[in-house]
Amino acid sequence: MSAMQGAFDPSELQGNILRGYRRAAVRYAVFEVVKPVAARRWLGRSASGGDAEVPAVTPERSWSVRPDYCFNVGLTFAGLRALGLGAAMLAQFPGEFAAGMVRRAVKLGDVGTSAPECWPAPFDQPARVHLVAAIYADDGAHLDAVQRLLEQGDAAQGLRLMGIRNGGNFDGDFVHFGYRDNISQPRFAEIAEHADLGEPIAPLGMALLGHSTGLEGVSWRVPQPSVLGHNGCFNAFRILAQDVAGFEGYLDQTAEQLLADPRGAVLLPPGDEGRIGAGLTRRAALREVVAAALCGRWRNGVPLALSPETPNPEPAVSLTAFDYTDDRRCPVGAHIRRSNPRGAKIVQRVASHTRRLIRRGMPYGPRFDPDRPDHVERGLLGNFIGASLGAQFEAVMYDWVNLGLQDPRITGSNDPILGVNDPATSWFDLPLRDGKPIRLAGLPRFVTTRGGAYLFLPSLPALKFLASLSPV
Amino acid sequence: MSIRSASAALRLVRLRGAEAMSGSVGWLERVVDRLPDSPVFQFLARHVLVPFWAWRTPVAVAEGGPVMTIAPGDNVQRMMNLVMKLKDPSPIGRAKAALAIAQNVDEIYAGLNNVGTVHFARFVLVGDHLCMFSVYDGDFTNYIRDFIATIGSVFDAVVALIDGGDAVIPTEQNVEAFIDWVHARDLYQVPDLATDLLNQQRDGSATETDIRRLPRALILQLQANPNVSLGSGYRAYPGFSAAQLRHRLEVGW
Repeated sequence: MSAMQGAFDPSELQGNILRGYRRAAVRYAVFEVVKPVAARRWLGRSASGGDAEVPAVTPERSWSVRPDYCFNVGLTFAGLRALGLGAAMLAQFPGEFAAGMVRRAVKLGDVGTSAPECWPAPFDQPARVHLVAAIYADDGAHLDAVQRLLEQGDAAQGLRLMGIRNGGNFDGDFVHFGYRDNISQPRFAEIAEHADLGEPIAPLGMALLGHSTGLEGVSWRVPQPSVLGHNGCFNAFRILAQDVAGFEGYLDQTAEQLLADPRGAVLLPPGDEGRIGAGLTRRAALREVVAAALCGRWRNGVPLALSPETPNPEPAVSLTAFDYTDDRRCPVGAHIRRSNPRGAKIVQRVASHTRRLIRRGMPYGPRFDPDRPDHVERGLLGNFIGASLGAQFEAVMYDWVNLGLQDPRITGSNDPILGVNDPATSWFDLPLRDGKPIRLAGLPRFVTTRGGAYLFLPSLPALKFLASLSPV
Repeated sequence: MSIRSASAALRLVRLRGAEAMSGSVGWLERVVDRLPDSPVFQFLARHVLVPFWAWRTPVAVAEGGPVMTIAPGDNVQRMMNLVMKLKDPSPIGRAKAALAIAQNVDEIYAGLNNVGTVHFARFVLVGDHLCMFSVYDGDFTNYIRDFIATIGSVFDAVVALIDGGDAVIPTEQNVEAFIDWVHARDLYQVPDLATDLLNQQRDGSATETDIRRLPRALILQLQANPNVSLGSGYRAYPGFSAAQLRHRLEVGW
């Protein structure tokens, strides 16, 4: 075990943490542990390279040839207990993980229509959500093949399938509100492919237990024995429904408002519509200006911080190497700035760069067709990963995405895209060149939580340790 | 007892009953009324009745600090009433605590300033306890975590003087445990609205809404949480964060 804590060996990690697989489809299978002995046997086989009946947990590694599928597992606190982990070891896990996502609902803004009481199966029975397996592949046939393995042998004996969620890319990195996503992620010096993208290199302890965190001198508790906690991390798995019709409708409504408002001409001088997009009407151009302000990026991913005037700057700008030195470029309340203020001045000075999250997400549901608007459920299957749920995910959700404590100019407002907004009280300030912002009001809630769980993503040695627990 | 005297006694009882029924006060009622003020009853209530009642009707120790809420106005200017029992409650121990604060006060205040979300904070010695009372914005765990990340090594000197403090120092290496430790010593805040207390005690299962139960509920809660904050306190300018006030007063945030 002491050797394990020596040199960092990435191949001991599950492969979906430090970088994304970039596959076309994902399937999450939610299980209840019903027979711990069989479940542990299955887990041990999976963590030890798999076999004809059991899919192998995919470790962190560089590929020369992409495998047919990737497979990873996360466990809830209830799942660790169901597998037979003793009370003394369970007690070393952080309180928020032990409480679980449902009991943290108010803190996360999961209230009203997002409240756990409204979540469909299997998330309506959080005590039975024990293990979430993620299958990644480029087509449905491979997803089905792996799922069939999960319905036979030790898996069938030890685990009960509670439900599945399917996700898939429909347009590369573009997601349902029409933005390019998956651009900015924490980069780690230990991963060779993380070339210098102009963002600060994150300390490994931002993602994994047992390493230096971004907070000087501060370390998170590693559940003991070391093999259990070391190199593990936590994942807030979220099913986030997106109201695309509502979002596009809000852009329509705001564009109309700006057409009637003389300050709309300061925001976008008449005649400048072409720099937003070739052939756009003034109304269509204003829609895109507002969409960019709400997010902090144009829909093609170009950051307002580097290109506030146009989504198509000449020469092209970096999508990642930027900061918020000029406040008039990117609204303080814009989604990407709220959730990651980078080097901007913030109220909680010590929290700069320390609340970063690894985001691994894939859309679900059919692509929205603006010509045939519908209200079919669609959204994002999101994973928000870090070494501390409390210091990262929850801190971002509670103080920054909602409430807006990080900057006094947005305190009391919520994230325009992700926040718990009520049209009666919501607001968002669009900065203008002359300094006085246009205050948009009436933002509804565009994103609704439809399920989720706090998961522990153990290292491979930890999975083998769990598999080796004495029978209960 | 003769038949005559027995029937007289019966008449008396009937008469008393009629008096009681009609609202006038008889001797028995007067005894009952005076009972709570009698030393014997007070002794029994304190040492027998209430402990027995609390044992029969267990009430969970209520969590410290303000309740979680999503309303922005309730998420700023939140109160922390941290009450920490001194290891050594003698005048010498209390003097040590006073010195530990005095020696580190500049760094502690600088740390609070750096946290950015703190309005006020002060240290008070009350009996055997060192108290830290503060008003902060946002999430309690973020406040404590940022505080420790800033000046944990300095604050350890204070924590070392507290009963149970050794288990959580150095605080920088025991952040999660220290947050729980502080949370356990932060006073429960009795809801501002009396009915909220009943709602909290209902635990979602029962349907009890009888306002007349309130004093009993409060007694049981105070048996479980001897020290409490009565409500969440008065605010002269509610709804503003520390940084918003600094921003508006142009004193830098």
